[in-house]
Amino acid sequence: MIDRETRLARTIRIVFLAIWLAITIFPLYWITITSFKGPGAIFSFPLTYWPEVFSLENYVNLFSKAQFGTYLANSLVIAAVAATVATLISLLSAYVLARFEFRSKGALMMAFLVTQMIPAFIALGPLYLMMSQLGLVDNKFGLVLVYIAICIPFCTVMLRGFFANVPDALEEAAMIDGCSRLGALFRVIVPVMKPGIVAAFIFNFVNCWNELFLSVTLMNRDQNKTIPTALNGFISSFNIDWGSMSAAAVLTIIPTMVLFAFASRYIVQGLTAGAVKG
Amino acid sequence: MIHKKTCAWTGLGLATALALSGCSAASDAADGTVNLQMVESLTNPARTDVLKGLISDFEAKNPGITVELISPPTEQADQKIQQMLQSGTGVDVLEVRDITVGPFSTNGWLYDMSDELAGWDGWDDLTVNAAKYATNADGKSYYIPYGFYGASLFYRTDLIKEAGFSAPPTSWDELLTQATALQDESKSQFGYAFRGGKNGNTNVVLAIEAYVADQIDQDNAFKLTDGSTIFAAPEAADALETYFALFENASPPSSVAWGYPEMVEGFANGSTGFLLQDPEVIATLEQAQSISVDQWTTAPMPTGPTGKAIQPMATAGWGTAESSEHKAESAKLISFLSEGDASTTFTQKNSLVSILKDAADSDFYKTGAWASYVTMNENPDTYITAVQPRDSSWWTDWIQKSDSELQQVLIGQMTQKELLASWDAYWVEKWKNA
Amino acid sequence: MTSPRTETLERAATSPSAPRRPDPGTRRSQRRTFTVRKSLTILAFLSPALIFVIIFVYYPMIAGSQMAFRNWNLSNLTDTSWVGFKNFAAILTDPVFYTVLRNTAVWVVASLVPQFVIGFALALWLRRKFAFRGLYQALIFFPWAISGFLIGILFRWMFNSEFGVINDLLSKVGLTDQAIPWLADPTTAMVAIIIANVWYGVTFFTIMILAALQSVPEELFEAAALDGAGKTRTLFRITIPYIRTTLALTVLLRVIWIFNFPDIIFGMTGGGPANQTHIITTWMIATTQRGDYGQASALGLIVVGILLIFSIFYLLAIREKKAVTT
Repeated sequence: MIDRETRLARTIRIVFLAIWLAITIFPLYWITITSFKGPGAIFSFPLTYWPEVFSLENYVNLFSKAQFGTYLANSLVIAAVAATVATLISLLSAYVLARFEFRSKGALMMAFLVTQMIPAFIALGPLYLMMSQLGLVDNKFGLVLVYIAICIPFCTVMLRGFFANVPDALEEAAMIDGCSRLGALFRVIVPVMKPGIVAAFIFNFVNCWNELFLSVTLMNRDQNKTIPTALNGFISSFNIDWGSMSAAAVLTIIPTMVLFAFASRYIVQGLTAGAVKG
Repeated sequence: MIHKKTCAWTGLGLATALALSGCSAASDAADGTVNLQMVESLTNPARTDVLKGLISDFEAKNPGITVELISPPTEQADQKIQQMLQSGTGVDVLEVRDITVGPFSTNGWLYDMSDELAGWDGWDDLTVNAAKYATNADGKSYYIPYGFYGASLFYRTDLIKEAGFSAPPTSWDELLTQATALQDESKSQFGYAFRGGKNGNTNVVLAIEAYVADQIDQDNAFKLTDGSTIFAAPEAADALETYFALFENASPPSSVAWGYPEMVEGFANGSTGFLLQDPEVIATLEQAQSISVDQWTTAPMPTGPTGKAIQPMATAGWGTAESSEHKAESAKLISFLSEGDASTTFTQKNSLVSILKDAADSDFYKTGAWASYVTMNENPDTYITAVQPRDSSWWTDWIQKSDSELQQVLIGQMTQKELLASWDAYWVEKWKNA
Repeated sequence: MTSPRTETLERAATSPSAPRRPDPGTRRSQRRTFTVRKSLTILAFLSPALIFVIIFVYYPMIAGSQMAFRNWNLSNLTDTSWVGFKNFAAILTDPVFYTVLRNTAVWVVASLVPQFVIGFALALWLRRKFAFRGLYQALIFFPWAISGFLIGILFRWMFNSEFGVINDLLSKVGLTDQAIPWLADPTTAMVAIIIANVWYGVTFFTIMILAALQSVPEELFEAAALDGAGKTRTLFRITIPYIRTTLALTVLLRVIWIFNFPDIIFGMTGGGPANQTHIITTWMIATTQRGDYGQASALGLIVVGILLIFSIFYLLAIREKKAVTT
């Protein structure tokens, strides 16, 4: 990087980054120490910022009393499969929306956007009926199908924005060199767009990972439950089980953080020099 | 090449997806075993465990029947149950609440179990109240209650002693005096865990009911014997005065927004002296580290000026879906859960008031925090049971309206008088149209 | 003052895909030859997305929308007759609706602007390499890893004015000597839910903008720097125009999402005190809880109407700008 930073700018940057980090992770810290407090110590007052006794009881309970491992595995598989398929499908539709001119294009974009505007409960009744007629209620495959569908519109609009940043000269050149359009897309554009695609995948994954209403509606048995359902289960009519819930939340956050850490490398990877020349 | 690789990955993804679908929903086995789908509504993990234990007892006794328990999170449960009932699939036995039985039965989703339960020998063991809910005014049995939710006054024995009181308050006025004496904001010591947030209406209604206890219509706790609403009575204004004084003088200022988690936390962390809550809280408080078990207990509900209080009757139970193809087996499961040891286990483990007559004799209900419930049940003339119109189709509408208007009074956007006028007008209007 | 070279760069940045267009003549003949093939390509590329969205999103959505025009109340579904626009009329004559509309506007604007500004700043600064950047990124991305409802009840707990950690910290630092009644007062409650939403939403912008910034060729910056273009100028004349489409779509999606994001509010205040923090979508949930799905669906369609009109104007506005700059 060539541009140099003044000392003042550097100080501002570091102070800002530090403050934001503190603000961001404080709730994480709070959940984490809560998860290590014993059931009775959670409501200690005045507040304690460090547990007097570290207790693993909340974590042990998650696996001994509830099938938390099963929920974790369900969420991982469902979110990973749905996010992957949705990203692939959206890549195709976003490509068309970014590169071709056709009459219904604007309407199509709007049609995708409308799906983001309409509240889910309106669709819930007919969706449940349809899924039960298809035999896809309480079925992981069924939930994956629905998740793919709800990820596509957002993902398409998002990827369409990233395509716009990639000059179309790139794949035109590849196609002149004898590539098919699909070949040009995957061989030439996808590598250049990696940051955007990884970002899109993350959003798909996180949206599926956190989705609650469809999962509650469409899944029944314990063996099919996902994490958000389990987390919400710690809120009952007369109590919030903070201990179990914070332990579960910490375990839920870890896989996503690992994904972020892994993916953020791709997001900031940058372009190989000369790949794009405007 | 890359193209091919992409295809391979897509193929792999689809294969995984298909593998996921391997396990499909449970259905009846070919050998004639009946599989019942049972959904609960007021779910909590501990309760689900208890229920699973009872179900396996049932399955052991009834080899031809298996039960699949579905436990959605409680906040989403009723919506899920509605979805299932409306689609007519996937549910045989369900948890019916006093606030859902009206809509569910009107829509034809609930099955009248009268025939199946005609010969049930558990009928005689039910308390008068339980029997009243098990067969409604039209003689239909849409659900058998599993227990009752009651309220009592949790209080700190040590704190009131320090403040110079020898006994817990018996009336709302005494509660105000004692709670005010306990309040010391500079030390973060509060008198009363006021409920201003979600379902805040319940406690203010309890106060009003206590003040009009002598004239109340026992079949409709919102009505006086002369047919007017309890909100129109002059005593209701006195009740509000005391109740809001409790907020002004003896409660944490932010309790405008307090729902059950904050109330329970406030009492459990030792900073609040009084808490009016359901017995379910007992289990949470017994675990609390900030206060030990000998620092708190319960007293009967506070009474009005005439020394009487109204016991609210909130309940839920088990019913059968109209769309169920296994109504006989469902009734069998429900009757199993509603009698003998199964019922006793369920109510005791979940801190509920029992549906069985002989429960009052059990030692469980005579000790510690439970003793106040026995006191209340043994004095039905002081602690009158009256039924709130919780089965009205507009009950949730009322909850939202009354919660919101209660907060308006608390933040100074409405006067107490306007509140009562509004609530009176609301019920007069609803009853006129009904 | 700018050198001609920078001007060219700036023009290149404004429309990355423009300069390589073939001349009009070849383009027209190409279009004729490949029309059929082109349509087939478009169809083939779009069909997987369309099939999924039509079956699992549009069909249930449209089937469900009819509730808005019917008397659809869960407390009595024996009479679900068509009532025309009665549900809409009931909403528009309810004075609370206008409080709710105002709250929604405050909620969207006051959440969006800080989210965008902080998100953008973080993305710019994260472009630069520094020690533990990967760890830093993973940590500040974390809010996105929790679901909205959990954030709601977590922040409700933290914002509790007597026992909450936020007031405790503020008084320890010495910023307040008196407990702020966060969720008990309409104004501070609004501030609290917006703080929670900003905390949650910055990540979205950071990731999106960071990803978009990667597509800005390093040469542009280098050239700009060589020409002595100031930092601010580089940012506004090169960086922002180059990723304009991504920025514009990100903002649009975010507006739609914040508008439709009841989770945090529902967890923190439930719309209280006294309806003062209800936005349209939380108000709609409250309506479904009353069982009135007819009115709730009508509210849902009103939401779609508002956002649709906004999106059309928004997209037109961006297009115009594009026409001016190219």
